Amino acid sequence: MARVVGLVAYHVFKESVRDKVLYNLVLFAVLLIGGSYLVGQLTAGQDIKIIKDLGLAASSLFGLFIAVFIGVGLVWKEVDRRSVYNLLVKPVRRHEFILGKFLGLALTLLVNIAVMAAALYAVLALMSWLRPEIGRAGGVEAPVLDPRLLKAFGLLYAQLLVVTSVALFFSTFAGPLMSAAFTFGLYVVGHFNEDLAHFEDVVQSPAAGWLGKALYYLLPNLAPFDVKLAAVHGREVPNLYCALTAGYGLLYIAAMLALAVVIFQRRDFK
Amino acid sequence: MAGGGTDDRLARVRAPILLGAALACWAGAVSLGAFRDARHALPPVADDVLYLAGGAAAPRLALGFDAILADVYWIRSIQHFGSTRRAKAGADKSYGLLYPLLDLTTTLDPHFSIAYRFGSIFLSEPYPNGPGRTDQAIALLERGLAADPKKWQYAHDAGFVHYWWRGDYRAAAEWFERASRIDGAPWWLTSMAATTLAQGGDRRSSRHLWQQLYESADNDWVKSNARLRLAQLDALDQMDALAALVRRHTEARGRPPYSWRELAPFGLRGVPLDSSGTPFELDATAPGGVRLSPGSSLSPLPPALAGQQGRAGQAP
Amino acid sequence: MLALETDRLTKDYAVGFWRRRPYRALDGLSLQVEAGEVFGLLGPNGAGKTTTLKLLMELIYPTSGRIAILGHPPGHPEVRRRAGFLPEAPYFYDYLTAEELLSYFAGLFGLRDGARRARVAALLDLVGIGGERRLALRKCSKGMLQRVGLAQALLNEPDLVFLDEPMSGLDPLGRRDVRAIVLGLRDRGCTVVFSSHILSDAEALCSRVGILVGGRLVAAGRLSDMLAFEVEGWELVMAGLDEAALGALGSRVRRATPLGGGRYAIELPPVDDPDCAVAGLRARGGRLVSLNPMRATLEDYFVRQVEARAGGPAAGRTVPER
Repeated sequence: MARVVGLVAYHVFKESVRDKVLYNLVLFAVLLIGGSYLVGQLTAGQDIKIIKDLGLAASSLFGLFIAVFIGVGLVWKEVDRRSVYNLLVKPVRRHEFILGKFLGLALTLLVNIAVMAAALYAVLALMSWLRPEIGRAGGVEAPVLDPRLLKAFGLLYAQLLVVTSVALFFSTFAGPLMSAAFTFGLYVVGHFNEDLAHFEDVVQSPAAGWLGKALYYLLPNLAPFDVKLAAVHGREVPNLYCALTAGYGLLYIAAMLALAVVIFQRRDFK
Repeated sequence: MAGGGTDDRLARVRAPILLGAALACWAGAVSLGAFRDARHALPPVADDVLYLAGGAAAPRLALGFDAILADVYWIRSIQHFGSTRRAKAGADKSYGLLYPLLDLTTTLDPHFSIAYRFGSIFLSEPYPNGPGRTDQAIALLERGLAADPKKWQYAHDAGFVHYWWRGDYRAAAEWFERASRIDGAPWWLTSMAATTLAQGGDRRSSRHLWQQLYESADNDWVKSNARLRLAQLDALDQMDALAALVRRHTEARGRPPYSWRELAPFGLRGVPLDSSGTPFELDATAPGGVRLSPGSSLSPLPPALAGQQGRAGQAP
Repeated sequence: MLALETDRLTKDYAVGFWRRRPYRALDGLSLQVEAGEVFGLLGPNGAGKTTTLKLLMELIYPTSGRIAILGHPPGHPEVRRRAGFLPEAPYFYDYLTAEELLSYFAGLFGLRDGARRARVAALLDLVGIGGERRLALRKCSKGMLQRVGLAQALLNEPDLVFLDEPMSGLDPLGRRDVRAIVLGLRDRGCTVVFSSHILSDAEALCSRVGILVGGRLVAAGRLSDMLAFEVEGWELVMAGLDEAALGALGSRVRRATPLGGGRYAIELPPVDDPDCAVAGLRARGGRLVSLNPMRATLEDYFVRQVEARAGGPAAGRTVPER
């Protein structure tokens, strides 16, 4: 099983590596992170903060694009173009196919996030080399080359994996446009999730409050994965917090993949 | 996949098993999340972080990009302040957007310390170099303290606004005192609180304050601002000396001098210049009969200083 | 031993957007294919050939009925390991080359390194792909893709292959190659089940055929045994004849068409022994140009079948609502 899943995953990665669109996305993100150096020059003080903000936001945004746009096509494209006919008659069972597709995109995302993180650290290193005094300024709360940024990148990666699993789930039964809309929708709602939990405080009807509560538990809670602010301000993000949040993500992903397999196994490829 | 999950005959994982697994994973995820939020939540990055328009019922639009938006609004704040300040006289100099922009910036990113510190300076600057809204400056710093109670700098800055721009030495001393009680506050805050209260408004404590700020400034803008204030204090010293000459002239001739040349017999050589190289002006209506030229880069003198004119002698 | 057996295999699709109603694509198909046979599944477009093959490969699930492939249900690991499948008009990943694609699929069968490379190279040679094996598949012609598809169906040296329209998209040279490959498989003892709507393909290759029309099996057996394809007469073309010579054949001639220059096309009834006629005409100075049996084409047969099924549309039927 591991060999088959690995082969499917490797070929998702290989496809993304050979896809020029992806290169453009990553290149653009790296340019944006590099360009934050210029933006930093426009502001009074806080250059380092702004570079970190921009770097993390760019990684988050482009990571989201990659996760959604590749994720919604992962299964759909194979079914639509009928390439799946060749694969599923081989010793590839349908759950292995789903798992392989997910892991392949996970690998792609990992490489992309790593490239963007490296780009951010490179800009920061350049800044502190060009202007050594910047790190000593009192207005900067966190060290310039703050290793804590890696935690923000790590949780960002976990968040993108949750988004990927959602995209993949939709991809097993819906077209890419609908899947992308649903996934983006869930991404947006995932950030307001805390509000849904306290919906009953805001609305009159108990039914609406109850519905809010149900949605809160059902939909992915993505806000806790976002520790960009804390990381930029040099706040400590405890390891336990990271582990619990990552654990939440992992279990949520497992649930999404299980549902994706249920649907995919029942599908007729007309 | 080996084991119970796979129906070997059909090579399909049975749907009930998968649905059960999905349910278990989901329940696990929800309980992990609940446990984290109950026991190991991150210290809140302020409740209303994501609301636009200062926590009003505006929709959340930031979606995790709040830090970036905060940066954008901070850059806009600076641009608004800078461009209004440089606008020609007669143009709209109301700085109407300054506070809303700063409010948005710090709402989006409640730990944006430079936005509080610079923002309060911008807001306090008297017209036409700023809106002269010391009340808003204090409000901004108070919000900063609410978000980051450990930032003694905010309390220090609030004291400064009271001291420098409002001449409210009692309030200033209270703020300095409050700042000194925060962990990590420097030692000199305590003495500053005391001297402010005892000798409120005296030039020596003012000089001490600015000198302190000048030396501790981590930023060019703050440093040059402090340099300007110190130059203004120097100008006040010069004006006191000139006022003494004017007084002697008035006593001797029975009228104030019309020109600096008339003061030559009393020991003045040439035209007295302030540190920006602009001549001081004689003005019988001004306290002491001397004033700073409105064209000087040191002008206008802040009210707290202007009120001190002629009181130099009182300093111990 | 049976390589393949289906029992009353039925597949309904739901059609219509608002009022979903079932559409019966395959209706009670019962088939048996012996090991080592080359079996042709014939029928016009939409007859249910592809549906049948997809059911066998478990790309779709049957509404009812039973399937046994090599003694196992479809989708069984043993079936996946020992069977091959060429889908109709196969499509592969744009980003890979033929060589990479086959190497990927060979890996799925557990082939490694040297063995994998050797197998891939051998198959590409077999299907006649030369330097193009290093070309991205998006740049390949339809015929090339068909060859790649055939190669990937044979990667696991299968005991049973399903080929959906293996000749489509191929030029005459390609068709000849595919025929040679299928015959090679038969010689190796591999069971081949393929679908086609062209009779000559089946005649050249098949030991037996099944004919599907509108989702139903209307005939099965050896082509030569099928009543519908018995010889309906003989067409004889001879030169150097005149009216008198023709007259000597008398009432045995169903129809005689002059072709000019003393050549005539003569239709003889099936009961007649064409040898006698040829010998008689030769004696009168005639020369034999050609002698062909006359048979119904598959197309004629389909048309007749469709006409026989009163009322229903040519392809498929709507199941009456219960």
